[in-house]
Amino acid sequence: MKGLLHIAWRSALNRRGTLMLVVLSIALATALLLSLERLRTDIRSSFSQAVSGTDLIVGARTGPVQLMLYAVFRVGGATNNIGMDSVRAIAQHRAVAWVVPLTLGDSHRGRPVLGTTPAYFEHFAYGDKQPLRLAQGRAFAGTLDGLYEAVLGSEVAQALGYGLNQRITLAHGMAQASGELAQEHADKPFTVVGVLAPTGTPVDRTVHVSVQAIEAIHLDWVGGAPLPASAGLKIAPENARKFDLEPKTATAALVGLKNRVAVFNVQRFVAQYSGEPLLAVLPGVALDELWAAVGLGEKALLAISGLVAVVSLASLVAVVLAGLNERRRELAVLRAVGAGPRHVLLLLAAEGALVTLAGALLGALLAAAAVLWAGPWVQQRFGITLAASAPTAEQWLLWASVVAAGMLASLVPGWRAYRLSLADGLSPRT
Amino acid sequence: MLQIEDVIYSWPGAGQPCLRIARLNIVAGRTVFMHGPSGCGKSTLLGLMAGVLQADSGRVQFLGQDWGALSGAARDARRADHVGVVFQQFNLLPYLSVLHNVLLPCRFSARRASRCEGGVAAAAQALLKSVGLDASLWGRRADALSVGQQQRVAAARALIGRPELVIADEPTSALDAARRDVFMQLLLDTCAANGATLVFVSHDERLATAFDERLSLPELNQALQPASA
Repeated sequence: MKGLLHIAWRSALNRRGTLMLVVLSIALATALLLSLERLRTDIRSSFSQAVSGTDLIVGARTGPVQLMLYAVFRVGGATNNIGMDSVRAIAQHRAVAWVVPLTLGDSHRGRPVLGTTPAYFEHFAYGDKQPLRLAQGRAFAGTLDGLYEAVLGSEVAQALGYGLNQRITLAHGMAQASGELAQEHADKPFTVVGVLAPTGTPVDRTVHVSVQAIEAIHLDWVGGAPLPASAGLKIAPENARKFDLEPKTATAALVGLKNRVAVFNVQRFVAQYSGEPLLAVLPGVALDELWAAVGLGEKALLAISGLVAVVSLASLVAVVLAGLNERRRELAVLRAVGAGPRHVLLLLAAEGALVTLAGALLGALLAAAAVLWAGPWVQQRFGITLAASAPTAEQWLLWASVVAAGMLASLVPGWRAYRLSLADGLSPRT
Repeated sequence: MLQIEDVIYSWPGAGQPCLRIARLNIVAGRTVFMHGPSGCGKSTLLGLMAGVLQADSGRVQFLGQDWGALSGAARDARRADHVGVVFQQFNLLPYLSVLHNVLLPCRFSARRASRCEGGVAAAAQALLKSVGLDASLWGRRADALSVGQQQRVAAARALIGRPELVIADEPTSALDAARRDVFMQLLLDTCAANGATLVFVSHDERLATAFDERLSLPELNQALQPASA
């Protein structure tokens, strides 16, 4: 067997030009398959890790998935805001332990800005109920003195090179990183007072300020645009503190309960709230709905990747079969020195297996490189952490399936060579 | 060494047999020259002698054993152990070195390997020396050699592990007259030195004088004769 493998290896090297193309084709197919699976796994993991310890998410009445997407993942936008009166009413429910309002809509260089209260840093948890941890500085004070204080997510600080005491300005709306379309709140700059430790969640790409600060920067704005300077209604940053900055509305609110048993009770209370139409969703249930919605798309993508892999393996079979006629002399020489038809079959199958294995290994490396290369961009753009970790069981299974399918496919030219060597004897009739 | 009795062979899908031989006996240690024009069944007969092809009927006895009575794997093992083959051309695996080409039979036959005194590598080197191939060529790819050099490597490969039977299928047809004579002498000398029986096939009858026996396949093969047609 060792001798046959040596011959198979040398034979493959002899036709390395053609076979390298096949190896590349299999590698790309494998990389596509593994990357998609990695992306699927990490998106699910990222989403599942993004919020824990929060029992309900409350927002204006819309779809549960949409509410969770904009409130937790900063994806999309709210159809409507909810009144702070409603938030306070929910907070007064006897089963509710804490409520944290969330105000979204502004941005800093493409990263979302979240207006909230200091309680956010106390109650928000991710992963396995891990609390937020400050890597540098402190949380914003939430007082009038510390009105223009900001706390950065780790990715914001790292990607933009920010540290403590950095002065930043916020843009109105979710402007792109280039800032071309941004309407800047340039007159009211913020000072960075804290940087959060990495969480692998959308928190990392979020700039956190107080809800009062969000009110302050919008004092001299009407209808989503600043009042013209000529109108003489510009409000200086220090003067903003003289206004009532208590927010009237919020985008959504995170709710923690004293006892999870009351979750449906509180959910019903929110749904039946008479002040305005509200919706309360359980994060886990909303996630299940999300997976159910995207599951079909995931399967379709995986199926397409699988087909790409099948086409690549078909090209392997085609290339080896096409070269078989030219190799009948080679097979006759092997038969003459004592190789049996089964040796010929094994030789061709071993060659196909080597090519498949090389392609699958290269594909796995390509997939790992793609994760390393695209990871920071995906994290910055979508807040999803692509883990450069060991392959998951599903990835191993996919990889092994490609290798196994390649080995099975290699039996086709192997069998053809077997038949030819039986018929040819010592003298191929080419 | 080799007895053929009432053998009939047809290529798969062919209506008529291409080979029909009533009797042929080749004695151990002899050198046999077999000639005939193209298409008279020379390569087919060699395939039957080497146990690569199976007769439709009749018996091909090699070293006292009927090839037809053996399983496919046993035939392959027996051929690896006892038969060396030299082709007309394309004798070598182009992607292996000269030395690895000579060693090929020993990869498939432990018996051939065990017969190599001083180890397989030493035996291969000794054979390459005996066929006049310079040591500087041993590590080269086989296709880097001239046709004449390749034929000499093929002879060394056929003889490694001292097989009892060496089959040469028109090994000189690609060589010019001078190289042909040198190669012929080399093959005959090394077979004699190894005590091997040589069956040498060619359509060039002028070569027959160097051999112990001469066989005309058109005369032997009844399938080519009018009465059999």
